[in-house]
Amino acid sequence: MNQAAPVPKENQGQPVVRIDGRLKVTGQASYPADIATANVAYGALATSSIARGKVSKLHTDDARAVPGVLDIITYGDMDQTDTPKFGNTGASSIAPLHDKTIFHDGQIIALVVAETFEAAEEASMLIRADYEDEPPSASFDSKGVKVEPAAGKSPMLQEDVKAGDFDAAYASAAVKIDQKYSTPTQHHNPIELFSTTAMWQGDQLTVHEPSQNVTGWKIELARQLKVDPANVRIVSPYVGGAFGSKGPMTARTAIVAVAARRVGRPVRCVVSRMQAFNTQTYRAETRHRIRIGASKDGRITAFGHEGWEVTSRPDPYVVGGTSATGRMYNYGSVLTHVSVVHADRNTPGYMRSPPETPYVYALENAMDEMAVALGMDPVEFRRINEPEREPIGGKPFSSRSLVKCYDQAAEAFGWSKRNAVVGSMREGDWLVGMGCATAIYPTASAPCAARVRLTADGQVRVQCGSHEIGTGVRTVAGQMAAERLGIGMDKISVEMGDSALPPAPVSGGSISTASVCSAVLKACDAVRAKLFAAAVAGDGPLAGSGNAKLEMEQEKIVASGGKSAKLSDVFKAMQIGAIEEYAEFAPKGSTPEALKKLYAGQAEFHGGDQDKDSVKYAFGAEFVEVRVNSYTREIRVPRVVGAFAAGRIMNTRTARSQLMGGMIWGIGQALHEATEIDRRNARYVNRDLQDYLVPVNADIKQVDVILVPEVDLDVNPAGVKGLGELGNVGTAAAVASAVYHATGKRIRDLPIRIDDLIS
Amino acid sequence: MSNSTNPSGLSRRTFMTGSVTAAAAVPLMAASTRAAEPSPARAVEPRDLSTISLRINKQAYTLALDNRTSLLDALRDHVGLTGTKKGCDHGQCGACTVLVDGKRVLSCLSFAVMNQGREVTTVEGLTSADGELHPVQQAFVDHDAFQCGYCTPGQIMSAIGCIDEGHAGSEDDIREYMSGNLCRCAAYPNIVAAIIQARDEIRRA
Repeated sequence: MNQAAPVPKENQGQPVVRIDGRLKVTGQASYPADIATANVAYGALATSSIARGKVSKLHTDDARAVPGVLDIITYGDMDQTDTPKFGNTGASSIAPLHDKTIFHDGQIIALVVAETFEAAEEASMLIRADYEDEPPSASFDSKGVKVEPAAGKSPMLQEDVKAGDFDAAYASAAVKIDQKYSTPTQHHNPIELFSTTAMWQGDQLTVHEPSQNVTGWKIELARQLKVDPANVRIVSPYVGGAFGSKGPMTARTAIVAVAARRVGRPVRCVVSRMQAFNTQTYRAETRHRIRIGASKDGRITAFGHEGWEVTSRPDPYVVGGTSATGRMYNYGSVLTHVSVVHADRNTPGYMRSPPETPYVYALENAMDEMAVALGMDPVEFRRINEPEREPIGGKPFSSRSLVKCYDQAAEAFGWSKRNAVVGSMREGDWLVGMGCATAIYPTASAPCAARVRLTADGQVRVQCGSHEIGTGVRTVAGQMAAERLGIGMDKISVEMGDSALPPAPVSGGSISTASVCSAVLKACDAVRAKLFAAAVAGDGPLAGSGNAKLEMEQEKIVASGGKSAKLSDVFKAMQIGAIEEYAEFAPKGSTPEALKKLYAGQAEFHGGDQDKDSVKYAFGAEFVEVRVNSYTREIRVPRVVGAFAAGRIMNTRTARSQLMGGMIWGIGQALHEATEIDRRNARYVNRDLQDYLVPVNADIKQVDVILVPEVDLDVNPAGVKGLGELGNVGTAAAVASAVYHATGKRIRDLPIRIDDLIS
Repeated sequence: MSNSTNPSGLSRRTFMTGSVTAAAAVPLMAASTRAAEPSPARAVEPRDLSTISLRINKQAYTLALDNRTSLLDALRDHVGLTGTKKGCDHGQCGACTVLVDGKRVLSCLSFAVMNQGREVTTVEGLTSADGELHPVQQAFVDHDAFQCGYCTPGQIMSAIGCIDEGHAGSEDDIREYMSGNLCRCAAYPNIVAAIIQARDEIRRA
């Protein structure tokens, strides 16, 4: 059996192979730095060696003397442009070449442009700066950081959610815990390097750069360059991994565009792995204090979650995962508070399930501790605290299949064979531990446009400015068209990743499948309506079937009475060769400006905790087995089982792969990933893939994904909940719980390393 | 850099100090850069161009390249074969894996000039003339052994090496011998399943 292609259950689509599979295994899929470009010049960044202060003098003479150097873009050279803005489209307000202030280590101080990559690299290393430097504040507990309440600072966290009287409930709880947890700085490290290739033809600028938001970037880049957005095009047909890192545009894009205009040639700048740690975004380190109070029979009466997050000096980047943790269980009362800590660091940004990964980790590790304190099975503890309605606003869940997920995952995992006594399970030299945790991710969608063309010979072309970042969205958009139009996948083509296409929202927040498929569905239905009207018209091939229910299958229009007409005959009757429809989807509850904002590159999200009628989330339950060597304390994860319910599954193959990859991310968060910081210099130390640990093949064994059937038509017309960010929520807590079960050591600070288990 | 993957026996250091006399430099490409004096007595400087002849996917190429150009950049920027990917340029991720004389090599850690006379195979050279995928390529499609696809050319070249070396005997062997190829989308279980399918098919053939 091919495990990559799960047999579809109710409300689940076929596991068709990826529409771009052949391109990807033959090297023909063109990532932005692959685009053939005649007469291209090469760019290389020079970056600061201090984290706080000012550049007093920049020395570029040695660099300019390198044969082949064409230009150096530095202070003053960006003065004719507007500074970057911090927000959903822009990564940071730090304008590195507009201002000699240094806000973080590794800040851009120049871009060298040369005839060859080698000359550009050589010259960039010869750029020297004199600094007026000041002692930097690296992170939590550093002298000089500024701490402030986060609520209202970011659209991600409008308020600190609360319910009931936490203080009274906690004070009177029979059983309680009060613990602190932390997660480290992490970098996305997609294997594709960040790059910008900019080329001007007259006043027309084309930028090839891996992006999760081509429309947003077009608007933002045009603003910075003070040109008409109609003259700017962002092209990103394939993205080599993103995970949030390619959502916001960084300062480099405009700098490379300016360089290309100055040298009068295309310029390509591929950022080194090391420089990307500072010039792109990252997942900020977080700290948490969790208090849970419960009655002796395990009913939670009080839940308190305080969070602290690091950000840069100027930008209040906040994720605030308390919105999700505060709604997770049937708490009697809730108190939350989130603070941001401004330090001398580059601005963090979205990284796969930005709020939920750190916050749900803390909650779920605490839930396991609480189950231990209650002497209760951790699955049972969650089951009896399953809510009817979410506790903050009292709204119903549009659907919530968490208990089903626990039931199915527990059975597949063999949870009943677990001996709850800590350290009781052993195999040879290995201590065996088993743990579990809940996964949750808000279900949202945003306005999206799509164009669908059907030709008389049954060829379909779908166009949508969304982004194939590995999720399979190109495939599922094609599947949606194939299903609605009754055409085989071999006759479907899908174009994405270009701001010249109908606009789509940022590919973030797990909204793409829902938003794109809803738009494609609408466009297909418009095509169908035209075909159906012509088919049943007086002179049409199905004349007289006007009252019949019509469907499209196998390149035919089929009437409920049994009559059918070939697609080509309907086109013949219409005397046309193609039907092309452009559709705009806007989620229920969209504001009147929602579509206008779509064209302006600003996604208006709906769903999650934002809707009036219900809250919308996807859920999952994850079970992990760990083995800890009784002598060396080496930690291995031989087995993970996750069961997930996420509404309509468009394609069981791509859905399973994303959830599997997500759970492996969770293992990485539990055991591997951490960007280490030299606290004296506020400098990242392990800025490469040798020392920044991510899971490798040998770290991973069995990973089972169960797709639990669920129908939820409240979420969007496609009935789809996003799942790209669901899989890695909770996993780290399940690992931590399993490590506790194996060893009796409760590790609260990620990642869990061998040294945490020694002594 | 391990010398075992470097049949010429040259390390980056010995090369950079000019102890190697590479072939005379004739600018065949990149005409805008300087060519070295064609004097055999003169030590070769890093910035000089050298002429190198090699075969790539069964075709002969003669290139004039900056001595510092990696095999990876030569393939991508000078030959136009962009299927081979740059993920770190430090030999840490495996995305640039190609076969050199049939052995898997990290092309970012190999100077192009070290590959004089060698046969290089990239992901573009695997498909048969009639368009049939190599068994490893087909297995990667069948088992969804990728998501974003960026590490995939390197994974596929490395998988061919792994099978050919006899290191695909068990799932544990495959995991171990494929651990030089990072997949950030984490398709690892699918990669293992794909290699098993391809291994069995190659053995049958």
